[in-house]
Amino acid sequence: MAAIYKRDLRAYFSSPVGYVFIAAYVFVMNLIFYITNLLTGINQLTLCYTYMFYAMIVLAPVLTMRTFSEEYKQKTDQLLLTAPVRPVGIVFGKFLASYTVFVIAQLLLLIQVIVIAAVSTPNIAVIVGNYIALFSAGAVFIAIGTFVSSLTENQLVANIATLAINLFLFLMDYAYTRINVTWIKSVLYWISIFRRYNTFYIGVFSVADFVFYLCAAATFIFLTVRVLEKKRWS
Amino acid sequence: MIEVSSLTKTYGKKRGIDRLSFTIGDGEIVGFLGPNGAGKSTTMNIITGYLSASSGAARIGGIDVLEDPVAAKQQIGYLPEQPPLYPDMTVEEYLDFIFDLKAAKSGLKRKDHIMEICELVGLKEQVKRVIRNLSKGYKQRVGMAQALIGNPEVLILDEPTVGLDPKQIIEIRNVIKGLGKNRTIILSTHILQEVSAICERVLVINNGQIVADDKPENLSALITGDRKLSVRVAGPQDMVRKILRGIDGVQYADVTVQAEKGSYDFLVEAKPNVDVRKPMFMALAKAGYPILQLKSMDLSLEDIFLKLVEEKKKQRNPQNKAPKKVSADAVLNVGGAAPEFPASDSESKEDEI
Repeated sequence: MAAIYKRDLRAYFSSPVGYVFIAAYVFVMNLIFYITNLLTGINQLTLCYTYMFYAMIVLAPVLTMRTFSEEYKQKTDQLLLTAPVRPVGIVFGKFLASYTVFVIAQLLLLIQVIVIAAVSTPNIAVIVGNYIALFSAGAVFIAIGTFVSSLTENQLVANIATLAINLFLFLMDYAYTRINVTWIKSVLYWISIFRRYNTFYIGVFSVADFVFYLCAAATFIFLTVRVLEKKRWS
Repeated sequence: MIEVSSLTKTYGKKRGIDRLSFTIGDGEIVGFLGPNGAGKSTTMNIITGYLSASSGAARIGGIDVLEDPVAAKQQIGYLPEQPPLYPDMTVEEYLDFIFDLKAAKSGLKRKDHIMEICELVGLKEQVKRVIRNLSKGYKQRVGMAQALIGNPEVLILDEPTVGLDPKQIIEIRNVIKGLGKNRTIILSTHILQEVSAICERVLVINNGQIVADDKPENLSALITGDRKLSVRVAGPQDMVRKILRGIDGVQYADVTVQAEKGSYDFLVEAKPNVDVRKPMFMALAKAGYPILQLKSMDLSLEDIFLKLVEEKKKQRNPQNKAPKKVSADAVLNVGGAAPEFPASDSESKEDEI
């Protein structure tokens, strides 16, 4: 697993993907920070974090599209699957590499907290809560992207399909606010990644929602392992 | 070392390989010989655990590939048909990664081990180069180096010389021969000469089944046997033909082409188990027509398969001897001139008559 993690992480930075992801994410988020906080003089970062959450819809697919697709295309999956490594090790190594790039970008955004701290008092509880939510929801988005990438050898298809799934989840969240039928509402709440963010948004650490994110990420990692194992039987 | 028992792989309704069974002992170099699509790669992919068989089992050193894949894969170095390379890495980075992947716990010294392998496959000068920029021959060597990392006891090489130039082919063959001294090797190829040059044993595979399992020398004796000769003789066409046909043991003789001025190429076919070269020389010398060139006509791979398949059919249905014999002879007759001529055609013609 460690070998695959190391190689994949290095691959992010030996190609433009890692840099483009981090640069785009950090640039756009700091621009939003400038508009919503610096220009208006508000010291609450929550609005900024909401945008970060929505940005993952578009940016996570960029990060994960090549995870397995590239391996299939170069036929290097043959190397990984015939090496003495279990499929779960392969998937976990790759997932963690993508996740590390996301965490690096997220940590770079801590500069916003520093800026706020320099001129005002930041609300640490809200910031920590939001960071936990972003890190755990990020794991879900990256797990979904990794799973989709394991289904196709075409990076573009992987990207667009992941984007479609993320948008679908986003729309489910919107539907939740508009539908009044109770049971549909509870089903939608059950699958909504976005709705669960709200408790963290106001600075409350919800164990249930945190566990939901971890389970969702684990489910998609498990599905990816199954895809790799199933490949042998095709 | 390698035990394969009634391995079958089906793709939908089609059988990729069909009840394949064989055993390979320690330190053997075995060649899989077969045309494209015969099931060579499928078999190799199953042994290495990349694919699963629909039924049957493969064991490496007594370990079932499906039951304990990690332990089985630990013993195998695999070079697939297309070397699995990451083009954006340098050779050194790539082999370093493979070391982490396969041999991190083996106790081998990383740097020494990698350099040793690079020297063995002739990559020492290229270690700092990016794989994308390497020539096909060097890429193949990197693929080979990758398979050797961790000193696996079994090496499985899928068409290791395909696409290389003649000089590289000889070099890679020598590397494989050297490696075979203390390893078990399976390699696949569709080139007959390659098997004779490297392997101690050949498994001929066609349509997913083993049609022959023998030493390469026996196999070539079976399939060539010096029965067909091409002879260039300086002399008048009709006279030479008459002399050739008069020799005892000659089954067929005719001119194929006018080679140089005043000399012709003849195709001479001897009866089974008769060597006509000496009497032919004597007869032509006596008549004063010198032989300018004499060579045996090698059968093409297609002919060999057809012949082996026919032999196998004959062994299975000895009571049906008559039509099979005709078709086998038909194959031999058309062998040199039209290798693609299918045996089934001659069989069906026979049926119509």
